[in-house]
This record gives sequence, structure tokens and C-alpha cells, in this order.
Amino acid sequence: MSEALPASASADRAHGERIYRRLAIVLGLLVTGYFVTVPLLGLNLAFHFYMMLWITMATAFNISSGFSGYMPFGYVAFYGVGAFTTAILVKKAGFAVLAALPLAGVAGVLLSLLMAPTLRLSGIYFAIVSLSLAGICRLTIANLPEEITGGSFGIQLGSRAAPVHAFYVMMAVMLLALASVLWLSRSRLGKALRAVRDDAEAADMMGVNVGWVRLQGWMMAAFFPALCGGLEAWYTNVVDTETAFNTLITAKTVIYAVAGGLGTVTGPIVGAIAMSWLDELVWRRFPLINLLILGVAVMMLVLFLPRGIVGTILRARPQWRRFIP
Amino acid sequence: MSGLIFNGLVNGVIVGALYALLGLSLSLLYGVLRVVNFAHGELVIAGSFVAYLLFHSLGLPPLLALPVAAVGFFLVGWGAYYVLIPRLARSDDPESMSFLLMYGFSIALAAAMLLLFGADSRSIDYSFDPISVPIGPVNVSTARLVALGVTVLITLAMGAFLFRTLPGKALRAAAMNREAIQIVGVNIVRLSALAFALAFGLAGVTGVLIALVFPAFSPFSGGEYSIIGFIVIVLGGLGNPVGALIAGVFFGVAEQMATVFLPQALAQIVGFAILVATVLVRPTGLFGFRALR
Amino acid sequence: MTAAIDVTGLTKRFGGVQALDDVSFSAQPGQVLGIIGVNGAGKTTLMNCVCGIYKPDQGTILIDGHDVTGRTPHEVAHRGIGRTFQIPRVFRKMSLVDNLLVPVLAQRRPDRELLAQAEAMLEQMNLLALRHNFAEELSGGQQKLLEMARMLMPDPRVVMLDEPFAGVHPQLCRFMIERIEAMSAAGKTVLLISHDLTSIYRLSHRVIAMNQGRIIAEGDVAAIKGNPAVIEAYLGH
Repeated sequence: MSEALPASASADRAHGERIYRRLAIVLGLLVTGYFVTVPLLGLNLAFHFYMMLWITMATAFNISSGFSGYMPFGYVAFYGVGAFTTAILVKKAGFAVLAALPLAGVAGVLLSLLMAPTLRLSGIYFAIVSLSLAGICRLTIANLPEEITGGSFGIQLGSRAAPVHAFYVMMAVMLLALASVLWLSRSRLGKALRAVRDDAEAADMMGVNVGWVRLQGWMMAAFFPALCGGLEAWYTNVVDTETAFNTLITAKTVIYAVAGGLGTVTGPIVGAIAMSWLDELVWRRFPLINLLILGVAVMMLVLFLPRGIVGTILRARPQWRRFIP
Repeated sequence: MSGLIFNGLVNGVIVGALYALLGLSLSLLYGVLRVVNFAHGELVIAGSFVAYLLFHSLGLPPLLALPVAAVGFFLVGWGAYYVLIPRLARSDDPESMSFLLMYGFSIALAAAMLLLFGADSRSIDYSFDPISVPIGPVNVSTARLVALGVTVLITLAMGAFLFRTLPGKALRAAAMNREAIQIVGVNIVRLSALAFALAFGLAGVTGVLIALVFPAFSPFSGGEYSIIGFIVIVLGGLGNPVGALIAGVFFGVAEQMATVFLPQALAQIVGFAILVATVLVRPTGLFGFRALR
Repeated sequence: MTAAIDVTGLTKRFGGVQALDDVSFSAQPGQVLGIIGVNGAGKTTLMNCVCGIYKPDQGTILIDGHDVTGRTPHEVAHRGIGRTFQIPRVFRKMSLVDNLLVPVLAQRRPDRELLAQAEAMLEQMNLLALRHNFAEELSGGQQKLLEMARMLMPDPRVVMLDEPFAGVHPQLCRFMIERIEAMSAAGKTVLLISHDLTSIYRLSHRVIAMNQGRIIAEGDVAAIKGNPAVIEAYLGH
């Protein structure tokens, strides 16, 4: 027997909104507060820089996979392109880093536009083609003239290294990524994306412009890894094809996102933090089998915790879904 | 110049035959289980390392390593199936989860080989007598010819298995229609385990042959072979074993010919470019099934 | 008065199969047009052509006088046509409310208005209590109701229902029949495919009978009931 009449349904809705908003603000404050204090308290800068990097990468990947239903196994392509764009603009064209970074983001988006035709491919084909396209990017950059891309030695950004500045800019980018996903999860575009993910043909018949919606999600998902690539280039002061296009970057992104749970905002954050800690602890104790543990961890996750940490919690408590961003 | 071209052709066929094997294994697994084996390249390299170990510690020539690899990997595959796959089938999104599972497996396997053997490139210093055989204007290494011969034999054997025996036909039927075959009473679980084990076995064997044909391998070489395998099955049509064979040879020849005419760097890109172009222009490959969302 | 939907000479082949062969009909606002025929007669193909999933080889489709032949599905949807499916195609991992919002995402109305409308619709279908559940958690019958509500959200002029009563228990059937009568009374044109001849005869103003891609009979309920061609098509094969 349905007791909730439309009037009280809307009161219920407003109530839900308030809780959601409060949780989102608390989340934002927690995250910001924690990371802001890291340099001030002299905590491990590198560890936290990379944690923020992975939070951003996993969050952006979630846009592509959790929201849109794509598994881009060549995700590193955006990262590498962003890294090289930043390095080239800074070292060869004399840009200030802060001016180069947004352009790196744009480079990522342009690459995503180039890849747009692959969006109509189904899961396996898309994954394989994505991997190949990343290979093409890497090989192309590796084979560009040395004056531009530094050949096998890569590019050094020179004396512009400023780790603490890079740290805070990374934090800003991370917050931007989180805010974007938070917005996406509530916005009409987000709903359209999820409908397309669930049943593209049905969504089409419901009036959703499938191609355009997919492209928007894809561009958003490409922007942030490109920024991350540029930021890491700034932080470490060096860029070369081996590290900028390292398949481990995609691997970690995917794993951290899945560990947390795709399709939610908090999932990738939880996953990235948990896995960063795990990585740190394992690396300290067992530096040699780090990679092995990563691979086994993925398999364990898929077999025993396929929905990730947050996903599994929400499965057990579905009524929390409207409150947890 | 024509010597170079002829050389390219001969090598293309030899390499292509290996690529065909790569594709056959992937095709079988995808066709029956709808699992894309991202770890295929690493499995193949594991096969190469097994041959290396057997040769350097026991003095076992690669040809004898073949049956060892075949049986060993087959058994491992059989076991691996029961450990890994049944849980997968019950999940929300088996397709994505199978990607991730095999992805993780590929990382773990590469890492294991790295730990056991170190990062250096290895090769098997086995030479046949005579070292090379003149064919037309060029000298072709005997090892490569032997590998080609073995590949052809294996392919024929697989062909006989798939087309003449009952389990083989069941596998092909499963690749065509998984639901129907279960209705007819075939135990899909055991059939799937068979497919998985066969795929592993083939990978191991391919690895031994690769050690004979290519100059060196390392734990990092796996990714390269995985991608080649994907290119081959996409060209040949996912889930189509015969298509994979033809596509493998075609791709091998194309690749080797590319290295004759193009600088090394560009030749590498050619492979990727062929894949992307095929998928976008004719996604079903030469003979395949649905590719679009 | 312009027909709400006007189909002329619709033809569609799939390889060797002639799925639709020179199909023509029209329907006025408020009319319920029943479509009957054995499996494979072309009924669902007809709907798929109308809503843009298939591009017809020949023929034209007019909605409210606008030519939508060969347009993409979302363009056709914006012309005011909605449909349901034989096997429900709800957005499984989205809440019921979100499911209902999908067809109206492009509308310029404010969010709270759309949400209120969605809630009202769910209330009508007795699904309001489950509004935050994922669609995949509903039973088959509930999913059919959800589809119907989703279809009605953008207030389409023409609605197409593909086997709405299939596998649905009698009480729910009666409920659906009431909803369909309400749609017709509100001036919507209803194209109704069903094997449930009782419901078809009760609801329809006119009926077309299809067989092997062609319309073999057309007329009001009484005319169709006694039509020898129709009887033969249903019993003869």
C-alpha cells in the first residue's frame, strides 16, 4: 500500500537532497583538509602527491567506465600526451607551467575527439582498439624528431621544479575532478550517460542523442588524465616515453577504481586511498614482489569483491544509494 | 632487391604461422567462453621460459620441450578454469570482469617471470644441423623451418580435432551458440574447461616455437604478443578459428613486408594501424560476428 | 484533420526475408489501432521502422504530418512518439525515478517539475514506494508498468505498445487496459500489438491483421472477427 502521496514524496526528496548535500560538503572538507595539511606538517609529500594523482585518475576513469560503460585499456594515452604536451610547451616553447597545463588538458580532449569513432564499438573491440591506439601514440611520440620530443632521453623541464607548488595544483585538479563527477552523478548528462550505458538503443528511442552524450562523457574522461600527466611531469621534472606511456599507469588506475567501486563518486576515492596505502606498505616490506601482489590483488578483487568496497556496501544497503554520492 | 622481398615473404609465412597459432588459441577461448585472454602473451612467454629452463638445466632440445609444454600447460589450464571461471559467470557484468581478471593475471604472470628469471632477454642457443637451408635466393634458418613445420602439424591436428572428433565439434558448436548446446545436453562446464585447457596448452606450445623463431624474449615481451593475437582475431573475426588462421598468416606477411619497405619505427605502427582500420571499417573482420554496441 | 500517424508503402527486406511488404495505414488522434498477426508477421518490424531503429527500403512515415522516414530514433522520439517493448527494456542499473526522467532530459522544464511529474506517474502505477530501487529489482510485470510510465513522461502524441499483456497476470492486465483507455481518452493515438485477442477487440477502434509482412485485413473489430483471411492466417499455418 503506497502511503507516500506526491506532496510528501517531494518533502522526502528535499530531505534526501539536504543529506546528500551535507555529505558531499563533509567529503570535500575532509579531503581538502587532509591534503592541505600534508606539506604544513612535513608529512611525506611524494606519497600524498601520488595519492591525489591516483584519486584523480581513478575518478576520471570512473566517468568512462562506471558512468559510460567503457573500459579504455589504453587510458595511459591521455596521460602520456598530457605529459609530453606540458614538457614541450615548457621546455621548447618557454611557457610557464601553469599556462601549459590547461593546454595539456586540451591536448587530451583533442586526442579523445580523434578516438571518437571507436565509441560505437562493443566492449571487447573497444578495449583492444584502445590498447592499440595507446601503442600508436607511444610509438608516434617516440619516433618524432629528437628536437621536439627528446628521443630516448626524454625531456627535462629544467629548473622549474617546485614540488610544493605542484602539490597544491594537484590538489586543485583533484578537487576539480571530484566536483565534476559529483556534478555528473546528479546532472541530466549523467543520467543520459547511464541510460546509454545500460541500453543504448532504448535510450536512443527515448530521445537521447546517444553519440553526442557518449562523446561528452569521453571528453571529460580524457581531460583529467592529461592534466595528471602534465602535473607529474612538473613534479618529477622529467618526461620520457617509457614512464609517460607505461602500461602500469592504466593498470593502477583501473585497479584502484575497481577496488573502490565503479559508478559511485566515493568509490574511486576509497579505492585509491586504500590501494595507495597497500602499495606503500607492501613496497616498504616486499619491494621485489610489488608487481606480483598487484596482479594477484586484481584477481582477488574480481573474484571476491567485484563491486569494490563501496559497491559492495551499497549492494547490502541499497537505500543508502541516494545519500552516498 | 627481389632477394629482400623473397626473404620478407618467407619470413612472413613463418612468422604468420606462429601468429595464426596465437590467434587460434584466443579465438577458441573467446568463442566458447566469451573470455578475452589478456594474459595470452604472458602465457606464451611462460612457454618460452619453460623451453629455456628445460634446455639449460636438463639439456632437453626444444622439440622435446613441445610435448612437455603442451601437457603441462593443458593441465594448468584445466585447473585454472575451475579456480577462476565459475565465480565470474555469476557476477553482474561477466564481460568486464573477465577482462579485469585476465588483465590481473597477465600482470601477475609477468611479475612472476620477472622474479624468477630477471629482466634480461633470454634466448635458446639451440642450433640444428645444418644451421640454415637455402630456399631460392635466400638462406632460411633451419630452426625457423622446423618451427613452421611443427606449426603446420599442430594446426592440422587442431583442425582434425575440431572437425572430426566429438569434443571438437562440441567446441565449435558452443562457439556458435552457447544456449543451444546446453539445451541439447552438453555439459558446458566441462566443455569450457576443455577450451580453457586447450587454449593454455596451445599457448605453451606457441611459446616454445617462438623461442625457436625469434631471437630473444623477456618477461616484458608478453604484451607485444597479446596485441598481435588481438589483431589476428579481430582481422579473422572474433570466435572464428579458421578466420584466425588465415588472418594470422596474412598479418605475418604484411608485417614482414612492411619491415622490408619501411623504417623499423613505422613498421611497428603498421600493425596497430591495421587493427584500428579493420575495426572501424569492417568490424566483423574477414569472417566474423557482431562488433558494434 | 491531420492523421496522427500516416504510413505509406512501407517495405523492408532482411537478406532473403521480406519483413514488410507495402504496408500502409493511418490512425487519428484518440484512436486505438490494434495490430494482430502470427509470430513473424512483421508487427515488431513495423514498430522498429516507425521509431527509427530500421531504415525502411521504401515508403514514408508521417507523424502529425512531419516526415520521419529514416530519421534516427532520438529524432523520431522528439516528434512525439513513444513505445514499450515485448521484453521490457528498462535501464537496469538506474532508479525508477531516473528511468522516468530519461525521456524528458532534453526538456527545458526545471528539475523539480520533472521530478514531481515522475513521482506522480510512479504513484499512478503504484510504484512510488520503490522509486529509489534499481529497475532490475522489479518483477516482470512491474517493469512493464515502469516502461509504460516512462513512455508517457514526454506526453507523446502516438504511443506504440508491443505485447503489453504478455506474461502479465490478470489483475495487472485489467490495470493496463484502464491505462490504455485513459491514453485514448486523452487524445493519444495508440498502436497496440497483442496476441490477446480479447483485449484487442475490447480496446481497438480499428484493427489491422498482418501476415508475412503484408496487411491482409483492415477494419473495425466486427469486420476483422469474421474475416476469412484472418481466420485462415491464424489457424492455417
